[in-house]
Amino acid sequence: MLPAMPPRQPDLDPAAAYPRITGLRDALDSGDWPACRAVLDASAPVERTELTMVPFAEPGLETFLRGVLDGDPGDGAAAALLGRHLIGTAWRVPTGARAERGAPRRPAGRTDGLVTAERLLVDAAARSPRDPAIWTARLVTARGLRLGRSEAARRYRRLAEIDPHHLPAQWQYLQQLCPEPGGDWEPAHAFARETAEAAPPGSFGPVLVAEAHLEHWNREHHRQPGAGRRYLADDRVRAGLHEAARRSVWHADFRHTHGWVRVTSTFAMAFALLDDRPAADSLFTTLGDLGSDHPWYHLGDPGAVIVKYRKRVAGGGT
Amino acid sequence: MRRLEVDGIPAVLAPVTGPAHAGLVFRVGTADEPLARRGITRLVEHLVTDGLDPAGRTSWTTGPEHTWFHVQGSPTEITEFLTGVCEGLRNPPADRLAEVRELVQGARPERDPLPMWRHGARGFGVVSYPEWALPGLTEAHLREWISRWFTRENAALWVAGDEVPEGLRLDLPAGVRQAPPAAARTLPLTPAWFTGGVGWDTVIARGPEAAVFANVLERRVHRDLRDLTAQTRTEYVPRSDGTARILIVAEALPEQSEAALGGLVDVLAAVRAGQIDPDEVASVVKLTGEGLRESESRGARLPGQAFNLLAGREVQTLEEALAEVRAVTAADVARVAVEAYDAGLLMTPPGSTAEWAGYTAAPAMSDTVPAGRVHRGRRDRALRLISGAEGVGVTGHGVVAAVRWDSCAALLSWPDGGRHLIGEDAVTVRVEPTMYRGADRVVREVDARIPERLRIEMPARDRDRIPQPEPASGAGTGRLYATAILCGVLALFLLGGGLWILVQSLAGPGTGNPRGEDVLALAGSLVFGVMLGRHGWTAGRELGSRRS
Repeated sequence: MLPAMPPRQPDLDPAAAYPRITGLRDALDSGDWPACRAVLDASAPVERTELTMVPFAEPGLETFLRGVLDGDPGDGAAAALLGRHLIGTAWRVPTGARAERGAPRRPAGRTDGLVTAERLLVDAAARSPRDPAIWTARLVTARGLRLGRSEAARRYRRLAEIDPHHLPAQWQYLQQLCPEPGGDWEPAHAFARETAEAAPPGSFGPVLVAEAHLEHWNREHHRQPGAGRRYLADDRVRAGLHEAARRSVWHADFRHTHGWVRVTSTFAMAFALLDDRPAADSLFTTLGDLGSDHPWYHLGDPGAVIVKYRKRVAGGGT
Repeated sequence: MRRLEVDGIPAVLAPVTGPAHAGLVFRVGTADEPLARRGITRLVEHLVTDGLDPAGRTSWTTGPEHTWFHVQGSPTEITEFLTGVCEGLRNPPADRLAEVRELVQGARPERDPLPMWRHGARGFGVVSYPEWALPGLTEAHLREWISRWFTRENAALWVAGDEVPEGLRLDLPAGVRQAPPAAARTLPLTPAWFTGGVGWDTVIARGPEAAVFANVLERRVHRDLRDLTAQTRTEYVPRSDGTARILIVAEALPEQSEAALGGLVDVLAAVRAGQIDPDEVASVVKLTGEGLRESESRGARLPGQAFNLLAGREVQTLEEALAEVRAVTAADVARVAVEAYDAGLLMTPPGSTAEWAGYTAAPAMSDTVPAGRVHRGRRDRALRLISGAEGVGVTGHGVVAAVRWDSCAALLSWPDGGRHLIGEDAVTVRVEPTMYRGADRVVREVDARIPERLRIEMPARDRDRIPQPEPASGAGTGRLYATAILCGVLALFLLGGGLWILVQSLAGPGTGNPRGEDVLALAGSLVFGVMLGRHGWTAGRELGSRRS
């Protein structure tokens, strides 16, 4: 009997799910700032922040954006894009998701790059204090430069005053709250729970519960598969994940707006890992050919890993 | 407001609605004190008021540039107090010196670390240091200080009342008007940062725009840091030389110091970026105007006008002051904000920096040490004390500190031989004979080079306060011993073996010429023997230096 899902790899390029990325990339490519602004200004706040986080690698992008800022130092969109670009350059890792992951050791060159980004963002936040994309970027620099948990919390509060349900920033702040292995996980889980409870029904926010569990699993138990399975299979974890999914991906009001693929994909991975096959399978079906790097890269090459798990939960594997 | 003169002292007088009061101010303050006399003005101020038993409400204060004696009460009470102060200055009650000194030492002024980083250990920077000199100040020191600073020419009077109280005599010795203290600067680059607590200061041109800016900033800091701090304090301090200092001190709540720093950085960046709310400026201008009117009615503007007289400025009427403040616009404030930001000095909590926010680290060390004789550290060869013709310095473990003989602000001297030289740039060189080999010689040189007037005798230190060389760790020593012995034995074995080969091949029964393999073995044992020998020698030397 043939498996229900096609065996080919999912399309991990965010541009496949969100056509505005292509629009923005084309506009950046042709150095057409008014066109870039048209794309960004037409986007909802979360979508706009997500668009600034795409790791565009257009040659001369930094020069172009600096030129835009020279002309109008108050252009928050240009500052957010340039800030994210500088952060990405500092990490020198190709994908956006990975570029933001905190590595335990930070070479001096990386710090210099983050300092350049943060200096730009300090000024950008001063000029555009109500731009969530800028505050989201400043959560990344706060973590990368180790500016302290209270400073990250202050930045998150500044952002939450503007938009209390800004998932890209919530994800960054969750990363800040995740401890080094062996540390206290309660702040991270508490933040995820509270954010999920406060999120409107059918929104993306509850995915933070899954993110927190996956981070916990990855940092503490990744190297011991048995312990990892036991952690995720715990009744409370399982119940929390189901509850979060009901408030988000399984809710009738869940919309396929910018970010939905990663949210769905994250829930799919959590359910796949705790071997909740029906739950994972339904989410894979929703995703169809789409997929996301994050959080699957924890398990290896995301494309291949997704194919493996998709097969397994659909009954094609063991 | 009237300008007049009382016993040769310039005075300002204005009628008030409330109780009458008056003040006598001298152009002397902490910024005039050399570090080796730090605290002398406060001691004078307390000494000359000590014998008085004033009936009115009195106070006396030493500021950075001014020292004043203030009294509120009836004309008789005013006359009694101010005349008494002048008598005290003419004839300081030397018999009370010891008791008053104790009193003054008991009430330490609040520490403000920022001026030292901006100005060094001189002028306005001296206020950052403890009053080390107090115990050693003698009557002669005080008389000399009074004769220079507390004179008729260096004084001004204000009277808040209808008339100068009848019978007020201000009998002060003649002297000269003293110029404003020079604002020496040690910060090479601004905006700069250093580690201390959470705070910021700047020095800009004084004026109504700067005063309004300070108020706008105060409100903003209070608003943005409210949840992170127990309190914030903002001060605007005009100076005689035409500048003004703005100071912000934030007392962060526990675990919130990094956020308080971040919040302060953001407020400063916002005002610098021109984020000045015109409505806020308008309300500050309005409140300032109301404050000025209210001050005028109480006579609270008079001290400032007396300060102006001492600085050679004209007195300013209320109408003039109001007109100046009313003319301030949001654009003026934004312009001042840029100037203030550029000259800023940020204080970060321990463990935090501010490079990330675009601030340059304020220099905490010297660039170089003077050439001279080197004394190595005891048990620590990385430490060096250098004494030469130009000055003295220490280096080691990333620290470089030097003080030139001709730019020493003060020398702290302990009975145990410890000497700390504080340079005018606030860099301290600690000459501790316990820490360096043969450092007694440097102590003698320091004592000979530094003039007596810069010397402060410090009370004897407890034994545990005298720095001692770090004891070498047992494990490290054991390993060094093992290395030295093993390398030594192996080196002897190899070199001995080499010698044996040489003797064998020369004295052997063969042709008389050494064979090829013999030469190779000989060369090998020589090379490895010498290498191991060197290694063992280094370990042995390190052991020797740790023992000394």
